[in-house]
Amino acid sequence: MLPTSCPSCHAQLKVKSLTCESCSTEVTGSYDLPVLALLSDSDQQFILRFVKNSGSLKEMASELKLSYPTVRNMLNEIISKIEAYEK
Amino acid sequence: MKSNEFWGLLINPFRKVAGWQAFGLGLVFVGVMGLVGTLGHVAFDGALDMHLTDSLTYAQSFLYLGISLASVVLVMWLAGVMIAKQVRFIDILGTMTLAKAPFLLLAVVGLFTTAPDLTQITQNPMAVFSSVSFIVLLVLSLPVMVWSITLMYNGFKVSCGVQGSKLTLAFILGLFIAEIVSKLALHWLL
Repeated sequence: MLPTSCPSCHAQLKVKSLTCESCSTEVTGSYDLPVLALLSDSDQQFILRFVKNSGSLKEMASELKLSYPTVRNMLNEIISKIEAYEK
Repeated sequence: MKSNEFWGLLINPFRKVAGWQAFGLGLVFVGVMGLVGTLGHVAFDGALDMHLTDSLTYAQSFLYLGISLASVVLVMWLAGVMIAKQVRFIDILGTMTLAKAPFLLLAVVGLFTTAPDLTQITQNPMAVFSSVSFIVLLVLSLPVMVWSITLMYNGFKVSCGVQGSKLTLAFILGLFIAEIVSKLALHWLL
């Protein structure tokens, strides 16, 4: 799991450098983490599952053995988190 | 099944079951309640009410249950629409129907209960304590009511997807109004 917050002060981390494994070129800067990467592992898993199920909450509910409104509420919570990150 | 999971399901089965599934399951409980209630002369005549009667026909029993359930479902659905963006009628219908299930316990106990004579109670209020089965029913009615309200609250919460004071206030007001609506409907229709 990619660390997203500072272990010392809990502020949001930024990407400082990226490396090419093929030629070892390093790109440095200060890049924002993508919004999806800021979500928890379970939220990311939920989104992946949602996409794999073609966005069908009904199928998600049956796969997760949860009720439809429970799964819809889980999705709504993730939407709220994404909206908060985007602000 | 782990103990925590079992207790969790008893107070909030709606995490796993809602909509048509909950409605179907709830209808089974309500159906048995109507049958057993008639045999034990227990009338569920209100959103949260239960009374012992001298005589009760199957038609009356199911009419009481139907009206009380319809009042709760309609009022809670309207409350849900007011506080939530996405609320499905079938989720409210299903969860509220299944939330009636604990009352089946009272219907069963009602089979073995003899109500004390009202004229006797008027003369001597202590006469209530002469019927052990009636005391058992009275004592049991409180936890059953709390259990049913908890189920209704959790069902409303899952169906609406709202949390906090807005949810609690809408639920309390909804329950209060549903009780009044059910009483008025029963008064007008019967």
